Amino acid sequence: MQKFKVTFLPDNKTVLAEKDKTILSAAISAGVYINSVCGGDGVCGRCKVVLKKGQVSEQLNGIISEEERKNNIYLACLTNIHSDLEVEIPESSRLIFDNPNSARIGEGLGNLYSKTEDIHPVEPKLKEGLFKHSPFATKIYLELPAPTLNDSISDLERIYRALRTYEDFPVIQTGLFNIRQLGELLRDSDWKVTLTLGKRNDTVEIVLVEPGNTTDKNFGFCFDIGTTTISGQLVDLNSKKVLGTKATYNQQTTFGNDVITRIVYAGQSDGLEKLHQAVCNTMNQIIRELVQENNIDLNDVNCIVCSGNTTMIHLLLSVDPGHIRKEPYVPTANFLPVLRAAEAGININPRGLLSCVPGVSSYVGGDTTAGVLSSGIYQNDKLCMLIDIGTNGEIVLGSKDFLVACAASAGPAFEGSGITSGMRASNGAIQKVSINKTDFEVKYATIGDKKPRGICGSGYIDLLSSMLEAGIIDRSGKIKVEGKRIRQTATGKEFIVCFKHESDALSDIVITEADIENLKRSKAAIFSATAILVKHLDLSFSEVHKIFIAGGFGTYLDIERAIEIGLLPDLPRSKFAFIGNSSLAGANQILLSSQAMAMANTLASKITYFELSVDSRYMDEYGQALFFPHTDLAKFPSVRF
Amino acid sequence: METQLVLEKWAGVISTLTIGADAKEGGTRANTVKIGGQKSLPLLFKEGDIPNPTAIAFEIWDVSPLDWPEELVAAYGKALDNPFDWADKCINEFKAKLLCVRMQGAHPDFGNKGPKEAAEFISILLSRVKVPLIIIGCGDDAKDNQILPACSESARNERCLIGCAVQENYKTLVASIMADGHNIIAESPIDINIAKQLNILISDMGLNLERIAINPTIGALGYGLEYAYSIMERARLAGLSGDKTLASPFICFAGQESWRAKEARISPEQGIIWEIITATSLMQAGADLLILRHPEAAKKVSEHIDILFKNKS
Repeated sequence: MQKFKVTFLPDNKTVLAEKDKTILSAAISAGVYINSVCGGDGVCGRCKVVLKKGQVSEQLNGIISEEERKNNIYLACLTNIHSDLEVEIPESSRLIFDNPNSARIGEGLGNLYSKTEDIHPVEPKLKEGLFKHSPFATKIYLELPAPTLNDSISDLERIYRALRTYEDFPVIQTGLFNIRQLGELLRDSDWKVTLTLGKRNDTVEIVLVEPGNTTDKNFGFCFDIGTTTISGQLVDLNSKKVLGTKATYNQQTTFGNDVITRIVYAGQSDGLEKLHQAVCNTMNQIIRELVQENNIDLNDVNCIVCSGNTTMIHLLLSVDPGHIRKEPYVPTANFLPVLRAAEAGININPRGLLSCVPGVSSYVGGDTTAGVLSSGIYQNDKLCMLIDIGTNGEIVLGSKDFLVACAASAGPAFEGSGITSGMRASNGAIQKVSINKTDFEVKYATIGDKKPRGICGSGYIDLLSSMLEAGIIDRSGKIKVEGKRIRQTATGKEFIVCFKHESDALSDIVITEADIENLKRSKAAIFSATAILVKHLDLSFSEVHKIFIAGGFGTYLDIERAIEIGLLPDLPRSKFAFIGNSSLAGANQILLSSQAMAMANTLASKITYFELSVDSRYMDEYGQALFFPHTDLAKFPSVRF
Repeated sequence: METQLVLEKWAGVISTLTIGADAKEGGTRANTVKIGGQKSLPLLFKEGDIPNPTAIAFEIWDVSPLDWPEELVAAYGKALDNPFDWADKCINEFKAKLLCVRMQGAHPDFGNKGPKEAAEFISILLSRVKVPLIIIGCGDDAKDNQILPACSESARNERCLIGCAVQENYKTLVASIMADGHNIIAESPIDINIAKQLNILISDMGLNLERIAINPTIGALGYGLEYAYSIMERARLAGLSGDKTLASPFICFAGQESWRAKEARISPEQGIIWEIITATSLMQAGADLLILRHPEAAKKVSEHIDILFKNKS
C-alpha cells in the first residue's frame, strides 16, 4: 500500500499514512489532537483543518461553506489522503486544556461568597451519628503474645484470634501475599504489627500487615468521575478530615463530549483501552498531587471510593460499555464487587481496595445514588427533588417512601466545556455577572478574585439572565442590539464579556450566539426532564417540598437567575437548596462509613428508573423549553422580564 | 330518545385583525376585511360566536410569473404581463375584495428590483385599486429587509398585512410595521413552538399581539396537508383555551402550495380541484385567510364558504 507523509502544524509532527486514510486517522496515529465530537462521523463539523499542501479527495456533506473552501478548509474526518500533505490545525479545532493541575475547588473564595452558608444545607447531613464512623479501610495495632509450646496456634490464626478480641468481625480473609511474608515479619517486628483491614461486602480482608504501629497513617480517596469533570478528595480516615479536593477535566474528553460518543469509541480497536487509560491518568494525577502536597506516602492510601455514571464506571474498570447504548439499554453491572485499586490501574497502596458506588441503570449511575445519599432526600417525609446538572443530567424525585430517577442528556455546556470561553469552576472563572442596562457595561466576579480566564457554569447562568434583563438578547437567544461590546463574526454575533487586556485569557472572553443556543438546549433538556418526571407521577411542581440542586458549579449558584433563564422551575425560592457536588459528598460518606455503604446499596436497589425516551411528551416539553425562560410564559409567572 | 350535543365553551377568543383602512381611519381603501374574532372551533356555530367568515385574497405578483403552470396562466391571459391590469382583472372580473401582492421582482433571481422601485410600485397600486392589500416579500431575507420597509412606508396608514417575519429575521419588519400602522404575518415552519415563540418575540418589541397573523406554513393535499392541519388545530385549541400568544388568525398560502403539486398540473380541472380541496380542508383546521391563485378555485371556495356560513343563524 502506498504511504504518504502527513505533517501536522503547528505541532510539526509527521506521520506515514496509507493512501485514502482520513486526515483524522493520520492525526490520531501521530498523537496530534483534533476535536471530533461525533467521533469521525462527519456530522459535528468540529474537525476543520487547513490544507497547506498536497492532494486530497473528500466526501462533501455541506458543512464546509464556500468561503471556507476558498481558504482551503476541510473536515479532517471526511478528507482522504492522496499525496504528501501539510495540514494546519487551527485553534478552533484544538482542545485547549487549561493546566489540569491548577484547579483547586474552594480556594481563597473571599468575601464574595457570603451566600455559601445558605446554599450548603446538606453539610449538616454529614453530622456525627447519622452514619457510624467505620471507614472503608481501618488500621488496627496488635501486640501479639509470642507463641510458646503451650500456645502453639499458627501465626495467621494468632492474628485472627487477636482481632476477634477487638470486635467480632465477619469472615476474615487474607491474601497469599501477606501470608507468604507473615512468618518473618511477625518475628522481626517483635510481634508488634499494624493490620490494615478492608471491607469487602460482608467480609473483612486483611489488606496489609506492617511492622510496628502505623495506625496514625490511614488515608483514603473519594472520587466523582464525571463525563466532563473528575473531582477527587483526600481524606484522613482516622479524623475524617478532608485534606484536599481537586478537580480537572476528564482526559476522555479527547474521544468525544458525551457518554454515547465514548461508548461508540470504546467499540473501536484499542478504544476501550485508551478510554480506560485516560480516566486512570486523570485520577492518578489528582491522587499524586494531593498526596505530594500533603506529604503523605502513597502506600498509606489504603482505599478509594468511586462515584460516577454507569458508563464512566465501566470505562474505569475497562468493562465494555457497548450494551448501554443498545436497546434495551442494559449495563454489564450496576453493583460491582470491591476490588484491588491496582487491578483498575489506580495507583495507591498496591494492595489497596477500590469500591464503586452502585448504580441504578444504564443512565442513572452511582453518582446519582451518592447524590441521593448525601442530599438525604431518602429520609424526608415530604416530596423532594434532586437535580444534578451535569453532562448527563439526573433528576430524582421522591421521599422516604419512594424514589424515581431519570436522566437527560444535557451536554457539557454548564460545566464550561464545548463553548467558546467556557471553563470549569476554578480560579479565574467568571462566576457572577451583572450588566448595565443602558451602556451594556459588564461587572463580574471571578473565583479566587483572579483575573478572568473564562466563564464557568454559574457565570453563564448569570450572564444569560443579565443579557435578557438588559435587552441584549431576545427570548430566542439572538443578540438584538448594537454596541461596542457586540461584534459580528463569520458565524454570527458575539458579546464581549471581558476584553483581552483586562483578562488573563488569550483572547477576548465572549459569548457567541452559538454558545447561547448550546446553553439553551442544555437548560431545556434539564427543565423538560424535571417537568416530565413530575407529570409522569401525576404530580405538579407545587407539590414538591424541597429541591436540591447539585452540580459542578463551584460554590455559587444564583437560583433566581437560574429560574429566570428557565433552567429551574418557577417555585418559591425558599424551596431550593444548592448542595454543590452531591456525588462527591456521597462518596465521602461511603468512604467513612460502612453503614453509608450499606445504605447506598439499599438505595440503588430502591430507586426506580424511568426512561424518558419512552414518554412521547418529552420531545414536546423539550421543544417548548427552547426559549427564555419557556415558550409557555405562564409557567414562569414570577420572572421579571 | 333525543341525544343532547355536548357544547364546549372556550375561555379564549381569537384576536380580530382588520386589513385596510378607509377614509374615516385615515386611509384610502373603499372596503376593509376583518378576520378572526371567533370564540369557537371552525364552523361550530353553537359553541361560540364566529363573527367573520374565512376571507379569500387573490395572489398577484409585481412581475410576470415565469414558473406558473400553463393551466394557471391561461386563466388570466395577457393581464399577467402588467401587474396593474392583473390587479384590475381580479377585482373587476373575479370580484376580489382583497389582494395579496408578492414582490417577487425584488428577488436577486427575478429582477433584483430595489426598495425605491418597490415603494413606487406599491404607491401606484394603491392609487389604482381600492381594495385592502396584503404585501409579501420575495423570500430573500436580506432583500426583504430593504424592500419591505420601503413598501410599508409608501403604504403608511393603509393598514396593510405585511410579511413574512421569521424567527431569524423579524426585527426590521416589526419596526417598520409599528411605525407605519400595518399588521404583520409571522411565519413558522409547521412548528407550534416556533409560532408561539415568534409571536412573543414580536410582541416583546412592542407590536400588539392583535396585529399579528400566523402563517403556519402549509402543505397541499398529498404534500403534508395533515401535518399543517394538526399544527393549526393544536395552536387554535391553545388560543381558545386562553393562550393569548397563540390566539392569532391564520393566513394560509393554499394557492401557492396547491399549484406546486404534480397532480395539479395534469389538467386545469384537476389543478382547480387540488386548490379547492386544499383550501377547504385548511378552513376546517381554522384558516381565517386563504391566499388563492386560480379564479375558478376562488369562486368555488367562496361559494362553499357562503353555504357553510348560512348555517350560522
